[in-house]
Amino acid sequence: MYCVQCGVKLADSQKSCPLCGTVVCHPSFDRSKAEPLFPENRLPPKPHRSLGGTILTTVSFLIVSVTLLICDLNIAHSVTWSGYVLGALLIIYNAFVLPSWFRNPNPVIFVPIAFATVVVYLLYIDLVTNGDWFLSFAFPVAGGIGLVVTAVVALLYYVKRGQLFIFGGACIALGVYLLPIEFLAKATFHVSRFIGWSLYPMNVLVLLGGFLLFLGICRPAREAMQRLFFM
Amino acid sequence: MSSANGKKPKKDLRWMPLDNAAKIYPAARNQHWSNIFRLSATLYETVDTAVLQRALNVTVPRFPSIAVRLRRGIFWYYLQELSAAPNIREEYAFPLIRMSKKETRECAFRVIVYQNRIAVEFFHSLTDGNGGLIFLKTLLAEYLEQKHGITIPAENGVLDRREAPKPEETEDCFLKAAGPIGMNRRENISYRLTGTPEHGERTHITCLRIRAEDIRSKAHEYGVSVTAFLCAVTIAALQNLQNHEVSEPKKRKPIRVLIPVNLRSLFPSGTLRNFALYTTPEILPALGQYSFEEICTIVKHRMGLEINRKHMSMKIATNVRDEQHSFVRAMPLFIKNIVMKAVFNAVGERTSSLSLSNLGVVRLPAAMDPYVDRLDFILGVQATAPYNCGIITYKDRMNIHFIRNIREPFLENAFYNVLKTMHIPVVAESN
Repeated sequence: MYCVQCGVKLADSQKSCPLCGTVVCHPSFDRSKAEPLFPENRLPPKPHRSLGGTILTTVSFLIVSVTLLICDLNIAHSVTWSGYVLGALLIIYNAFVLPSWFRNPNPVIFVPIAFATVVVYLLYIDLVTNGDWFLSFAFPVAGGIGLVVTAVVALLYYVKRGQLFIFGGACIALGVYLLPIEFLAKATFHVSRFIGWSLYPMNVLVLLGGFLLFLGICRPAREAMQRLFFM
Repeated sequence: MSSANGKKPKKDLRWMPLDNAAKIYPAARNQHWSNIFRLSATLYETVDTAVLQRALNVTVPRFPSIAVRLRRGIFWYYLQELSAAPNIREEYAFPLIRMSKKETRECAFRVIVYQNRIAVEFFHSLTDGNGGLIFLKTLLAEYLEQKHGITIPAENGVLDRREAPKPEETEDCFLKAAGPIGMNRRENISYRLTGTPEHGERTHITCLRIRAEDIRSKAHEYGVSVTAFLCAVTIAALQNLQNHEVSEPKKRKPIRVLIPVNLRSLFPSGTLRNFALYTTPEILPALGQYSFEEICTIVKHRMGLEINRKHMSMKIATNVRDEQHSFVRAMPLFIKNIVMKAVFNAVGERTSSLSLSNLGVVRLPAAMDPYVDRLDFILGVQATAPYNCGIITYKDRMNIHFIRNIREPFLENAFYNVLKTMHIPVVAESN
């Protein structure tokens, strides 16, 4: 039996040519008599995944959290300082431990979850302290940064190439976003000093982003940088 | 892995440090890759698993350096003899599935049966292809003796299972073969094939079966050895692929094929552990198109230049010197692992396009030949490159096994096209 495309002689068990992928079609040949090289339908078992570390870490977090809560309730008879610590622990847990419960955690899901936890934590602090800065400052700042980071992670995860363009674009987006952050800070906290501070990091970030985009476009420059920074 | 006969572990199980070449493999492995290879023998009859298990139980004590588990010390990994043979396993749709740390901790090799075939997969820290072949031959001899009541002499790589292991079989011969001075190992990054990665640990095996005489006569026509000829074919195939991929000649990367060299032929040794190094014939396509004759000449001279006692002793000295440095020896294992992994990822594999390992013509005792149809040798894929190639010849039939973890069969196709222009008939099969 020969492949009609590339002409190689094929073993009797072949359903397609291993060299060019052409499907074998030979009406007078009974392939059921030929044994395949490997059992086609017997897939290896999925590797055993141990959740011991994740369970241990979760239990440790719970013990620390409950201990802190009990101490606070005994001392202050209400949730005071422990609220801040528990919120911070929840952020750490959601960002680093929660994904390890899953076999193939998708960062495009877990990064927004981590940022959402941060936003909720800020809302909690705002409500407890009667700060009145959540909607006018914390939410747009944390939300905006979360959106940029999620976009970067999603592009890196799904596109698999063009990292220079992704990071370059993210640098420019973050740099430009510093201007409304300064405006929001000024409007919320009525800061009159250091007017225009955002221009300095913005310039640095935009220049850095522009340089990364330039490296993405210009191959000789990219290769020169690779030579320069080769480790 | 549970033991087959349920024996309790003995307290005086022998242990040994890893040999010089083996040290990199436990450090370099990761969540998706471990360095393993497979040797298999296909019989003319269906394998009797119960008899094979009994044969394995007899064979395992004869190989205290291969039938081992990989354990962690504070400063180095070490190998520990198994108290009992592992159970025989069933074959899956694709071979050479990654050996997890847990698995190597229990037993660092697998014996797998599928219909007429007996396969053994070794973690590379245990032995090299030649040591593995002796294990397979001995296991096969014991199986055939038990199954058919025949007597097979201890010759052609078959060991006597009734005799005690010899001290030289477990020796780390690198230490003895090291020369007085080392050499610079630095090589630049070579051309690597890329393609669509396969899901999970799925690998494609393509076996090209060729009459050994066809290859031998063609190699002699070009005035080179069989290994040099196959290396030249591979380089020519890679050159064609890179020409297609990179249109501007100046931007083409060097093409370098890593050929393992069996050091037993240069330094007389009876070791069953790793005792192989490599040579790396290369061409520089940025300089222009190479004809097949030019490639053959380059490969032949490179192999002639490097495959000799003095040059190899210099290469060995470099590796041994690194290992014996007091600072390195005093470094805890987890730090060593980080450093070795970083070095391996940065320069270890990136310097060659693929490995092409030829175990040569294998001979079995005459009493075994009527029972054995074919032998196969499959290398696992590299950590970061999608291809590798293992070659073995038995009964005038050469089996060239390409393994890849990408979907597109670029290299096999290009390799076949080079052979086709030379009118060498090929039979192709795959998993």
